Amino acid sequence: MKKSKLTIYGVAATLAVSLLGSAAFAVSCPIKIGGLAPLSAPGAVGGGEAMRDAMKLAEADLNAAGGALGCDIEVVIADTEGLPEKAAAMMNRLITQDGVVGVGGGYHSSVGVASKDVANDAKIPVVFAETWNDTITGDKQQFIFRIAPLSSWASATIWQSAILAPGLKKVAILTENTDYGIPAAAETTKGLVANGVESQTYGVDIGTQDYSGIVERIKAYDPGYIIVLATGEAGYNFAQQAADAGIGPMDLPFQAGQVALESKAWWENVPDGQYAFVQRIGIPVNLWNDKALKLNETYKALTGKGAIESYALEAYDSISILVQAIIEAGSTDGEAIVAALENIDHDGTLGRIYFPYGSQKDPSVDGKGDEWWHQWPDPAMTVIQYQNEGEDSTDSAIVWPDAYKTGEPIWIKK
Amino acid sequence: MLWMIFWGVVGAVGTRKAYLRKDLDTSNAGYIGSMVGAATGPVGLIWLWLKTPEPRKSLMIAPPIAAFALLAMSFSFADPSNNCVTNGSFVASQISNGIILGILYGFMALGLTLIYSILGVVSFAHGDFYMIGGMGAYYVTMVWFPGVNPLYGIGFACVSTFVLGALFERVFLTPMYDGRIERPVEYGILVTFGLAFTLQYFIAATVGSNPVKAKRYFDFPRLSWPSKEDPWLLKTRRGGMELFDTITISNPRFTAAVVCIIVLLMLLYFLHRTWTGKALRAVSLDREAAAITGINPNRMNMLAFALGGMLAALAGALLVQAFSWLPQVGAIPAMRSFVIIVLGGLGSLPGAFLGGIIVGLVESAGTGCIPDPQKAASYIPAYGGVVLLLTLLLRPTGLFGRRFSGGSHGKFG
Repeated sequence: MKKSKLTIYGVAATLAVSLLGSAAFAVSCPIKIGGLAPLSAPGAVGGGEAMRDAMKLAEADLNAAGGALGCDIEVVIADTEGLPEKAAAMMNRLITQDGVVGVGGGYHSSVGVASKDVANDAKIPVVFAETWNDTITGDKQQFIFRIAPLSSWASATIWQSAILAPGLKKVAILTENTDYGIPAAAETTKGLVANGVESQTYGVDIGTQDYSGIVERIKAYDPGYIIVLATGEAGYNFAQQAADAGIGPMDLPFQAGQVALESKAWWENVPDGQYAFVQRIGIPVNLWNDKALKLNETYKALTGKGAIESYALEAYDSISILVQAIIEAGSTDGEAIVAALENIDHDGTLGRIYFPYGSQKDPSVDGKGDEWWHQWPDPAMTVIQYQNEGEDSTDSAIVWPDAYKTGEPIWIKK
Repeated sequence: MLWMIFWGVVGAVGTRKAYLRKDLDTSNAGYIGSMVGAATGPVGLIWLWLKTPEPRKSLMIAPPIAAFALLAMSFSFADPSNNCVTNGSFVASQISNGIILGILYGFMALGLTLIYSILGVVSFAHGDFYMIGGMGAYYVTMVWFPGVNPLYGIGFACVSTFVLGALFERVFLTPMYDGRIERPVEYGILVTFGLAFTLQYFIAATVGSNPVKAKRYFDFPRLSWPSKEDPWLLKTRRGGMELFDTITISNPRFTAAVVCIIVLLMLLYFLHRTWTGKALRAVSLDREAAAITGINPNRMNMLAFALGGMLAALAGALLVQAFSWLPQVGAIPAMRSFVIIVLGGLGSLPGAFLGGIIVGLVESAGTGCIPDPQKAASYIPAYGGVVLLLTLLLRPTGLFGRRFSGGSHGKFG
């Protein structure tokens, strides 16, 4: 009896060891994870470089913590140039040539929209870090996740803070003709109109350099507030050219594009950019957790910047969360990673990250729209204002919302 | 509009046939026919086809002016609330913007047309000389010697690109002249393409792709004329000026346009009053005849390429204070320069300058007058495309173009 029991234990132990062994052998080391970032124009290169640095830091931290499934992690960076066609090609390359098992990063919405189908068809999970377009998760694809806010939420931040401007009647919106700009402008317009504020939208291509014609047109419209929904150097060019024409941030309330968060580039490219409002994703610096603070120090030492940008935090978390999912799944199989992601509780630099809606619970159950599918529900959104010339965006006053406010907005009068 | 387009097309096709039937020169027939058709409809066309007059200056200028006036009138009826119809100061601003932009465009195109007129090569690296010029000025004034007089930055950009252009021409373009290359036109395109890619990726690799910008070269002093209370004539702030309470001109563009005009005048003096300039012109007209008079055409090739690249670099050095600068910044200005030199006439310096102003005005008009503001600025590259298409259809030699200009591709003998 004793002997037979021992035999059973022995067989079970052998089976367990062989199963574990086969799992380990099934994984080829290092485990490769793709990282999308715009590193060439017309993409937002400053943002792309910040994301790239953060994703490489994630790789180093994860490997220092032991990697995953006994393997090191390798983040393979792909330059999307902010262009949809390039993004689809890069996603294809990452999957078919580099053999990645998941993809993080992503800055431009058009990149997310164009590349998500490629990843979904290839059953490779993607955690988009900074692509806002609602349809990215709204298509309810099995392998697509997002930790960035929805475009509709981000637009709400912009119009809700804009309508606080005293006596506001007319708003001019300059938007890029992309999957980010067009819906964001439409959502912003909707919010403004609902609050009795008239608006006019001016569309531009992201590579546009000269805005003199459109600036004159905006001047003729005589707005009380200007909102810029353009990424890349377009955001800088427009802001300074508007300032040269007397309708810049120092002349009337002016919401700059998110590229303005790159403080050094902002002040170099837009020397007349004082008093600009800028939207920032992620919790304010004073509320950062230990993980974010530690990453901030490493990032500052690496880049020489004043502080880590919010999209760099998102990029870092997009890689970390994928690796946690791989570990929890015990496999690099796409479906297993998705199953792990749907149940994940990740302690990231942005806070606690989880996905309440997916195959286990459809958003409609709680009366939510499809865009909530695989969407992190808690990204913090604030509006800062460059109140002092040359200051770093992380030191700037948070002027909206009240929950995070660190200073009152300065309203420039025409 | 449809009426004008219809009769314009009928005029272009029919007039060419009418002139051909009478065995007359048809080189301007399409252009004249389309303009007369657009301006006067069938009445003018019947007269034109019956008379088939010599294409004199008045016939070249009056019909397009009439067609333009008709177009403006029909536009004002179609969209009476448009800013371009109701707002005089807006129109004045857009025109001044168009002229200033046009001066800058024309200046950039000057170098390209100079190279083409002497070497017969369309330099695809022109936009990258523009980029290098801006980068050079930025590095001198902002990185290497912050606070230095911007003239040093501009000077560095000019000298370095002149040397680069001369070296490139000696090393890579000379095989075109002595028959070593079977297809010199294709070779010229490919080798300048190669230079463009090399320069662009070299800068991307060494400098990075983050947008950079030079500080404004100087700030305007604060002026208010005739009085501080009512500065209706002129009001300046550090970044720009306002004329007649109407026209806004930004400081960097104003500086750039003024310098461009000064350099253009110097260039004209050089080409028309100095021996070397005359030699360049002589080579562009007839290489063999020029050689007989003692001019070395090969040396002129080198000078033209270096000078052409330097002009593009100078435009870049002047505009790096106006625009954010990237390794890819030259692509759109280069494309626009191609449009301008086709419009002005390949190889024609006055044509390039006038073509630049026309393209600048067309872009300004399009951006300002297209009723849908969401579309107006999106079409900017298309405006140049339309100008190019019309030029190729109606007057393939351009405004001042010579047939077969630059056709020797730098070859002698």
